[in-house]
Amino acid sequence: MLRTLSLNVRLFLEGAFLSYVALFRWLRPMTYLASKIMMPLASILFFTLLGTYATSASNASFYVIGNAIQIASVSGIYGVTMSIGGDRWEGTLVYLFGTPANRLAMFVGRAFFHIFDGILGVWIGLGWGVLLLGLDLTHTDLSALLLTILVTTFSTSGLGLLLGCVSLVSLDTMFINNLAYFALLIFSGANVPIASLPAWVAAISWALPLTRGIAASRELIAGGSLAQVAPLIAGEAAIGLVYILLGYALFRWFEFQARRRGTLEAF
Amino acid sequence: MTASTFRQDLRVVASTFEVTLKMIAVDSFVLFGILIQPLIISVLAIWMLTPKDPTQAIFVVIGSGMTGLWSTLLFVGGNSITRERWTGTLESLVAQPTPLAYIIFGKNLASVLQSLLSMVVSYALAALLFHLEVRIVQPVPFAISLLLTVFSFVCFGLIIAPVFLLNPAVQQWQNAMEFPVYILAGFLFPIALLPGWTTPFSFLLAPYWAARALHATSNGSATSGELALCWGMMGIFGVLYLVFSRFLLRVILRKARVDATLGLE
Repeated sequence: MLRTLSLNVRLFLEGAFLSYVALFRWLRPMTYLASKIMMPLASILFFTLLGTYATSASNASFYVIGNAIQIASVSGIYGVTMSIGGDRWEGTLVYLFGTPANRLAMFVGRAFFHIFDGILGVWIGLGWGVLLLGLDLTHTDLSALLLTILVTTFSTSGLGLLLGCVSLVSLDTMFINNLAYFALLIFSGANVPIASLPAWVAAISWALPLTRGIAASRELIAGGSLAQVAPLIAGEAAIGLVYILLGYALFRWFEFQARRRGTLEAF
Repeated sequence: MTASTFRQDLRVVASTFEVTLKMIAVDSFVLFGILIQPLIISVLAIWMLTPKDPTQAIFVVIGSGMTGLWSTLLFVGGNSITRERWTGTLESLVAQPTPLAYIIFGKNLASVLQSLLSMVVSYALAALLFHLEVRIVQPVPFAISLLLTVFSFVCFGLIIAPVFLLNPAVQQWQNAMEFPVYILAGFLFPIALLPGWTTPFSFLLAPYWAARALHATSNGSATSGELALCWGMMGIFGVLYLVFSRFLLRVILRKARVDATLGLE
């Protein structure tokens, strides 16, 4: 049993590392700089300026925090989805399904390094907020904030795993990814307070990742304690777990259908 | 160039326009940029801007429509030649007798005209779903501004497409070029919010003058002086882009016919 466990852990870590490296083999440093550092900065600037124009300059932090945390979805959605979809596009899906390897370790491992990449992206976003937009982190419990960001990137990656499974059977992967990313701008509370949204929209918001993470981050940066935001963080983690399990169930179902019908990579 | 040669070249422009229109009409990535993304930005802007001031609705419609125009120009127009390289048809395109500029012009015209749907979609959202009053106060100047917007955007595309082809390092920054233009061109908020040193950069962008003219004519604040300035700048930039694009396309043709490196990245 110990041997099986160590094999699965090795599978998890090596698979995670290889899928992350494989994804970024086609990304040059300049592309990483443009997509993961400059594009988030531009996005934060745009929505913060829009928000302060709509309300007042004193509300800048609301938009900076919301859009900085929302950067987690860049890695969580695009990165994770492409890591999973990449097996289909590169023709390695058949080998993946042909192995006896533990499916959960293989599947969840795809998101592992993107969680840390997402954390880095969020911290860069918050850094831009401090440097350029007057975000004040002096009253923040930084370790609690780090935990919140970790859980938020985890839950967003869970959504990415689910969307990644959809990419195994869909040709419109980028359409779905873009739709999810931009929909989170509306529903996550990054730019519009959840309390001011229509009730049916707010209901969708609470069923999505990011919403609780953004709310918790705002409270922490305003000086709140870990104990105050613990229910939000726990809820965010639970949401992430639900999406991971949904994604895994879908992944196994696709595998079963592909074997039964002989339709692997047929879409 | 004779009259019949010109007519033949115009027929190529028309054919390119038609084929491009049909291709991007069923491209989900393009449809997202034309319809969905401006819609989402429109929804956000409506929720953020109109509670305090419902008259901002037309501002949101124009601004979010402009975001669709720019995003489409950047990703579709910008890749109009690069896409030909990806599909292995670039060399054939360069070798045929019609000037390459006419083909890119036809492609950009199709994508820019189709991206005007962004404004229609935003208008429908604001008027039908949110029941906001959306009306254009100065319709004739607005229509002229829109025509000049199309002209300046299409010409801008004649610069972007060859630059991306000739310099893949610049194309890597494509994703990062979307929001900066939204900001500098003042699509959804005035550039007065920005630091003063950014103003010259705004003035150098044709989309800024387009947004300025369209916003002013839609809310009725456009004076004849303001219109003359905006239209003049769009015209000047359009002509400058056309002139500069001739140089860039000559470089492309040299790479194809002399260096034989056009197909290489």
